[in-house]
Amino acid sequence: MSDATVSVNPIKRALSRVDWGYLWYQVMKSPLTLGGGAVVLTVLFLVIFAPVFATHDPNAIDLRARLAAPSWDHFFGTDEVGRDLYSRILYGGRQSVAVGFFVVLVAGFIGTFVGAFAGLIGGRVDVVIMRLMDVVLSVPSLVLIMALAAALGPSLINAAIAIALVRIPVYVRISRGQTLLIREMSFVTAAETFKASKLHILRWHILPNILSPVMVQATLDLGSTILLASALSFIGLGAQQPTAEWGAMVATGRNYILDQWWYSAFPGFAILITATAFNLLGDGIRDILDPKQKAR
Amino acid sequence: MKNSQWFHVVGAAAVTVGMAMNAPVALADGDSDLLVVAKASDPQTLDPAQTMDNNDWTVTYPLYQRLVAYDVSEDGKGLTSVVGELASKWSASDDGTVWTFDLASGNAFSDGTAVDAAAVEYSFNRLMDLGRGPSEAFPGGMKVEATGDMQVTFTLEQPFAPFLYTLANNGAGVVNPAVESKGDDHGTEWLSANSAGSGAYMLTGWERGQSLVLEPNPNYGGATPEIEKIRVDIIAEAAARRLKLEAGDVHIAESLPVDQLDALGSKDGIEVQNYPSLKVTYLYLNNKVAPLDNVDVRRAISAAVDYQGIIDGILDGNGVQMHGPIPEGMWGQNKNATQYSYDLTSAKKALDVAGGASEEISFLYSDRDPLWEPIAIATQAYLSQLGLNVKLEKLANATMRERFDSGEFGIATGNWSPDFADPYMFTNYWFDSNRHGLAGNRSWYSNDKVDGLLQQAVVSSDTAERTALYGELQEIVTDEAAYVYLFQKDYRIAVRDDVEGFVFNPMLEDIFNFGGMSLSD
Amino acid sequence: MSFLNVIRRRLMFLILVLFGVTVITFTISNLIPGDPARMIAGDRATPEIVQNIREDLGLDKPLPVQYLRYLEGVVQGDFGNSIRTRRPVLEDLRIFFPATLELALTALFFATALGIPLGVASAVWKDKPVDHFVRVIAVTGISTPAFWLGLLVILLFYGNLGWLPSGGRIDPSLEMPTRVTGFLMIDSLLAGDLQAFGSALKHILLPAFTLGFVHLGVVARQVRAAMLEELQQDYIRTAKANGLSRFKVVFTEALPNAMIPSITVLGLALGDLLYGAVLTETVFAWPGMGAYVVNSIQALDFPAVMGFTVVVSLAYVLINLAVDLIYMAVDPRIREVS
Repeated sequence: MSDATVSVNPIKRALSRVDWGYLWYQVMKSPLTLGGGAVVLTVLFLVIFAPVFATHDPNAIDLRARLAAPSWDHFFGTDEVGRDLYSRILYGGRQSVAVGFFVVLVAGFIGTFVGAFAGLIGGRVDVVIMRLMDVVLSVPSLVLIMALAAALGPSLINAAIAIALVRIPVYVRISRGQTLLIREMSFVTAAETFKASKLHILRWHILPNILSPVMVQATLDLGSTILLASALSFIGLGAQQPTAEWGAMVATGRNYILDQWWYSAFPGFAILITATAFNLLGDGIRDILDPKQKAR
Repeated sequence: MKNSQWFHVVGAAAVTVGMAMNAPVALADGDSDLLVVAKASDPQTLDPAQTMDNNDWTVTYPLYQRLVAYDVSEDGKGLTSVVGELASKWSASDDGTVWTFDLASGNAFSDGTAVDAAAVEYSFNRLMDLGRGPSEAFPGGMKVEATGDMQVTFTLEQPFAPFLYTLANNGAGVVNPAVESKGDDHGTEWLSANSAGSGAYMLTGWERGQSLVLEPNPNYGGATPEIEKIRVDIIAEAAARRLKLEAGDVHIAESLPVDQLDALGSKDGIEVQNYPSLKVTYLYLNNKVAPLDNVDVRRAISAAVDYQGIIDGILDGNGVQMHGPIPEGMWGQNKNATQYSYDLTSAKKALDVAGGASEEISFLYSDRDPLWEPIAIATQAYLSQLGLNVKLEKLANATMRERFDSGEFGIATGNWSPDFADPYMFTNYWFDSNRHGLAGNRSWYSNDKVDGLLQQAVVSSDTAERTALYGELQEIVTDEAAYVYLFQKDYRIAVRDDVEGFVFNPMLEDIFNFGGMSLSD
Repeated sequence: MSFLNVIRRRLMFLILVLFGVTVITFTISNLIPGDPARMIAGDRATPEIVQNIREDLGLDKPLPVQYLRYLEGVVQGDFGNSIRTRRPVLEDLRIFFPATLELALTALFFATALGIPLGVASAVWKDKPVDHFVRVIAVTGISTPAFWLGLLVILLFYGNLGWLPSGGRIDPSLEMPTRVTGFLMIDSLLAGDLQAFGSALKHILLPAFTLGFVHLGVVARQVRAAMLEELQQDYIRTAKANGLSRFKVVFTEALPNAMIPSITVLGLALGDLLYGAVLTETVFAWPGMGAYVVNSIQALDFPAVMGFTVVVSLAYVLINLAVDLIYMAVDPRIREVS
């Protein structure tokens, strides 16, 4: 399973199995999903082109113009060392969005493979893997993430790794459950009678069929990961100065909340909007792709 | 449908809740028997032989008495000299190694037991035997012996100039020997959450994470305190502490950020008090790590920091730039020592002499002091003007300390305040090559000449001689830019204006003389 | 499968969890760079003092030895002493756990009391404006940074309006009611102290709202899905055909059945609330386990962090057990099928 091409083909095939026309039709029909998608695209656009939209260098300090109120010079005011909050929020979005995708990709990939593997092999290996996952899921996740992030050293990438590690069991469970179902299906049992290798079965039969629920879970996870990463930064275990990050900005801003409410209000609002948009989109896609829901 | 019924149920519930919530709640204001102090975090341990945190000392200091105490001037200012507290008089041998203290009679622990020489001996032996942080202030090999019912003798291995002042430390509090029976390890577990002292107050309640209550010690030997109850409320958010103070629910609000204090100064009924302090903020420059091992790089850094910009911008003008390691207000400061100022041209010149520096420099700080982050961000920006590549690392305090001790860092922020009014607290800790790392020499600075000067100064009891020795030292260590000497700032605290009699002592930050305070009506 | 079997299996799992949780937490805690001995040794500690403290705390022993010692203690009900406070961890937790549990249960109450009606409304008027509104509320709930919402409600209800306190569990000027359950609202009622009860209630409103808001969405979504399923069942059609009013159909026929699958979600929510309280407690200065564990992680107070994780994991497993049992009791189908 080491080489990347193994995973490419199944994905292509899986994606081709998703009925894009149907998906598009359903999204257009659901105003909330559509709205969420539109905001997601806007946020992505804004943060990718942050240098274009920013009015200031996000890291340029001006100690004598600190904690200024919102004005035409500084749309959202300035922070405690005089940096422009509007520009920092734009740049800060890059961190949040990047962490979201990183976690989902890493946890999704590893979790899916491990789960499919466990489900396919079965027996002791399966029991050991699943018990391990159960145990990890029983540890209070926030504390586990906090401790992991502290152990790896405070930085945004380490926070992302910590979150990804803790999210893996979720994907393992989904993909194993799905694998168990598919394993019993006729085309797999048929392949087994033809002495197809496990790897072959995993690659051509299992992975393509478990991708849909995994994708649903991944979309749903984007929003919550963005929240979690900002929470870690809020308690100082995420992004490091001078990098702009929303959670860290809320944390510093809380010291000034009585006189400069905008300092923590705007970045918090940015988290809220982004997470809501991702969640609405994820919800909508789940409703559409989830076969149980479709049946209704 | 049955809307009206629902409405009734909800309505009735709302009324009940409303009645319960409108129950009157006593405000601190107007109640002259209760003083409320708001602090940011719960004390960790109340055992004087263990705690090394000023945040704990707010509570512990008034619970215990010491042999000597800092004096107060006629006009109510805290002095740096000491007078007897438990001791009525004392004398030192000519060579300064044998100190004899006679105890005053009439002092008693809160359980009624009299404070005698045996209790003093027990307390110091307990302190040294536990060997925790507070024991560090006292010279190694110190022997303490009760040489009479009411007489204690301290024998030192070698003279130690500031010895008398160490006896006013929080760690020198005299503990009731009865704690020995409270459990293993000299009753440390019990004493962590209880008091056994002869101070003006005793601990009568501690709702963890919420509040502590102190009430007068009925057997206290001194003047009976006026305030009948002290409550220390734990309020984590600075904004909440400020609002409670404004509402009059709290009399004294600790550790408010500069900006909150400025906003509070103009409010009715609140006074923001400023006291000159000996607390300094400085940057450690790791002398053992490239490129900071090069003296010219350190000089360049020292000239690239906009001291006045930091003071005006981050402190709102409430501070002064340090002039070398010894702060204003402490004897022994040498005004002839180099004081760097913000001068990019000379900074660049110094960096050229050094041949430039391309290494990444780590800059450690923590959230222990909210000023550190803006200082770190500003310094990074200043140094980038020299082309220096600084990487900020915000760490948990514990992790930061580990790095100090192992020397794996470039620059770091630090605060320092003295335990007693002697330049020793700055010079010997910061520059002695025997104290590399956490022990005090956080810059890992080494200079044989400086070590020699320090050794000479500590055994001498002649102030003029010591001033000269420390003067020479200051010229060397500022020239060699061992640290970046940032600023010294006032101690500022917001109190309700009915609080009277507070005496601030620069050696006792976050400590209140509750016994001498009162509330006007 | 019988009740006994379920209990036995869960308890076996519990032992596994406890072992796993302690190994994981111990390993990770010890990976955190830093030395707790230095932390408590203070600002001017010499290497000798640090070493002395390390020996006192047993930190000089090899890690496996430290771990075995710890495990030995845990088996005997001794969680060791906190490095930070020097008091037994179990005693600290005994003080802080009820505060967290009270907050979590109140938040859960809030989430269900609002979440169930919202979910029902959403299902009954599927794809109508009500449904969209509820879905937006639900999604906003799970998308709101609780730490930020907390700050805003404090600013509004304490800072601007002055209606509710900013933090803590009870007005500190009041006498604490005698500790019976550790739940202030219950203890104050037991003591017949209405004033203390009012104060405790006032103090818990904002944090419980903040914490519960997140789970409001989870509950509403679950109830909506379950209700949609039930409303399509044959018995509902029969009931409707028999002339039962719509109100009765929804509330007496469909809702009770829809609640069965929701029990799992509520159980999970309670588990989440217990450790989700960590951030909320920090913002509201709620003296519970959350604030305790955050401080402990910062101070590298391993025994305290381990104690916390063990207790919460234990609670998590037990809640799951309770959910399973309730499930079996209310839904005979499960017993028959297995």
